[in-house]
Amino acid sequence: MFRIDADRARFREIVRGKIRSDLSKYLSTSELIARQGAHAVSVPVPQIELPQFCFGENDKGGVGQGPGERGEELEGDGAGQDGVGAAGDGLGQHLLEVDVELDELAEMLGRELELPRIEPKGKRLLMSDGGRYSDVSHSGPDSLRHFRRSYRQALKRTIAAGKWDPAAPRVEPTREDFRYRARRVTPTPESSAVVIHMMDVSGSMGREQKEIVRIEAFWIDTWLRSQYHNLEVVYIVHDAAAKVVDHDSFFHLRESGGTKISSAYELCLQLIREKHRPEDWNIYPFHYSDGDNWSARDTEKCIALLRDELLPRVNQFCYGQVKSAYGSGQFKKDLDDALGADERVVTVSVSERTDIQRAIRAFLGKGR
Amino acid sequence: MGAPARASSRLSGELAGWAALIERAARDRGLDFFPVQFELLDASDVNGLAAYGGFPVRYPSWRFGMEFERLEKGYHWGLSKIYELVINNDPVIAYLVRSNSTLEQKLVMAHVFGHADFFRHNCWFASTERHMLDRMASHATLVRRLVDRIGLERVERFLDLALSLENLLDPYLPLRQRLRDGAERRGAPPASESSTPTFDVLGYLCAHAPLDDWQRELLSLVRDEAYYFQPQRMTKIMNEGWATFWHSRILTGGVLDASEIVEFADCHSGATAVAPGRLNPYKLGIELWRYADQRGEDLWRLRRVHDDASLIDELVDDEFVASQKMFVYGRNARSGKAEVEGRDARAIKDKLLTQLSWGGLPRIELVGVDVGGQLHLEHRHDGRDLQLERARETLRRVDELWRAGAVLETRVEGARRRLIASGGEVRVEELDDARADTKAH
Repeated sequence: MFRIDADRARFREIVRGKIRSDLSKYLSTSELIARQGAHAVSVPVPQIELPQFCFGENDKGGVGQGPGERGEELEGDGAGQDGVGAAGDGLGQHLLEVDVELDELAEMLGRELELPRIEPKGKRLLMSDGGRYSDVSHSGPDSLRHFRRSYRQALKRTIAAGKWDPAAPRVEPTREDFRYRARRVTPTPESSAVVIHMMDVSGSMGREQKEIVRIEAFWIDTWLRSQYHNLEVVYIVHDAAAKVVDHDSFFHLRESGGTKISSAYELCLQLIREKHRPEDWNIYPFHYSDGDNWSARDTEKCIALLRDELLPRVNQFCYGQVKSAYGSGQFKKDLDDALGADERVVTVSVSERTDIQRAIRAFLGKGR
Repeated sequence: MGAPARASSRLSGELAGWAALIERAARDRGLDFFPVQFELLDASDVNGLAAYGGFPVRYPSWRFGMEFERLEKGYHWGLSKIYELVINNDPVIAYLVRSNSTLEQKLVMAHVFGHADFFRHNCWFASTERHMLDRMASHATLVRRLVDRIGLERVERFLDLALSLENLLDPYLPLRQRLRDGAERRGAPPASESSTPTFDVLGYLCAHAPLDDWQRELLSLVRDEAYYFQPQRMTKIMNEGWATFWHSRILTGGVLDASEIVEFADCHSGATAVAPGRLNPYKLGIELWRYADQRGEDLWRLRRVHDDASLIDELVDDEFVASQKMFVYGRNARSGKAEVEGRDARAIKDKLLTQLSWGGLPRIELVGVDVGGQLHLEHRHDGRDLQLERARETLRRVDELWRAGAVLETRVEGARRRLIASGGEVRVEELDDARADTKAH
């Protein structure tokens, strides 16, 4: 009701503009991860205040009512409000939270990082019930009446009936002349994708390294979700052994131990074989570690697994190496030497949060 | 008096009956008002209307959207609920929220008649536009038309600029002009002051700033609305107190059913509750009126001639301060916590008067334009410094309108300072007193 909806929309647009221009800031914080709901992220934004001449710091204090001796501290949060009648017009320093749809966030990301859209390799055709109003029909609600088509029809009829008089060009449409916009159902390829995030949680991966991985994973999910109708996300953590965990554990878990990367790749392969067969799924395995592996032999095993088993089945394999104080970074070198020429493989090294943007662009920039 | 009982034109059934009954009770007690038109609202629509200050139509602005967002969140988290929404107009428009209980509706109705009487008879309201509903609508049309012609971005940008300066007005100007020109000034915003010195900076800018026509129209729109709202700022305590005083009298004087007394007491005490360190205008207001009544004062005269500051000056004394357990508080410099500083009536009154005078705003006077064309403003310092960062930004905006430079003189921690805005930059000059004194205005 009223026009407030338009004003609210304008306010949100302005806020979104701010978020968009500050996106790089959001790209390197974990602030948004905790705020993700099913369809939207609630982004905290400061209230926009128009500057005005107003009193400053030494206008503190005021008059109150109630008990209390001289020097007695005031209780409650009321004391935070200074002055008289502040309740009515007191624009506090409150943060407003504005919900941004995940799709919209993805769109901002796409625009900021200039990500190409992904052409899904769909297998089956699905009658999507969306569709566009690109058809014309003889019946429909008045709100969808197609004026131009209706008029043309009436004009045709008038001319055909010989009633057309160029000197007095009157066209009277009848019921039969009306045309309406109608929805055309378009078959679109069904597209499903699965993202498999594999994270090294061994002792050498510190808190900051894991945080970087989580931020990357958040944005990758956000983007891919906007590209596929149906996106599933699987989380695998590994040290010397690998296991599937849920979203919460992935984002909060701390483990420690040795590192056997092949354990994660084996688990990943097993999942693909059993649940996410490449005929039906677009598959995106991501692996993040600090580049330390148990042994050179395990690394060989990893490369063999990738080359022979994983790569033929997936859209793209991404490896993000997060620099840590302990990690040697050897794994990325080995991977690049063995598989660097394969366009299905993307490897990126990240040493600090500001690199996250570059990493995401590398991962998603191929549009595969 | 003697206006027909149009009060309930938008209500029906039981509520219409109550409105008529309460209106009669209010008139019997001597309240006198323009016709009051109640509108029923769904709870979901209250916040939208409140964001517009009660007006169904305002010009488009994101600020209303932000206010709406804030109210919605507050409502959602149970922090705030809006009971009454009443606008100074002829007829007075007041809203009732459909989901409220019958008792709450009665209380709001009686309260509204109190406000309506106050709007009509308090002298500060005498020259406010009484057809503000229409005026707001025509403002909305103007802005929409400009948006179509000039473009949203430019109109919005200029409106934001103008709104930054909406406080730069002279609260006494409307009344002064009315006293000078007689009653024909009723219902019009004050004429722009085009000579210096003046506190009506907005008016001066409207008259002299180098603006395009559309910009001048917008600036004058902002000024109109600011002058319309200004009396409400200056009489918040009196006005809420008056309405609360009368709703209490009217309801307990025969309108309430015995079964409603407890709920009434609950509602009423909720509205007049005090939190330490926050003055509740409903509470202070009603107590002032009760005190005046006890002292045998002529309430009708008091409500006609005063604003908050002068009423408090007239009524607050040792006895009132003691009976109301009033105190002055301040921030302890060491702990940073607010604490009671004392209960001396003089100090309490001083504090109240300082904070309430000039509508609670800093007094900024336009002293003149120098030979170089720069606009000179002076902050009449009363012990309270300006928030410097915002003052700079605001002055930058003054200059953006004036284009030939703007200067603001103020004090910061006792020392004189001059802020100079020119070409988008603001610099601060220290002013030693000797030099400042020789400077002629």
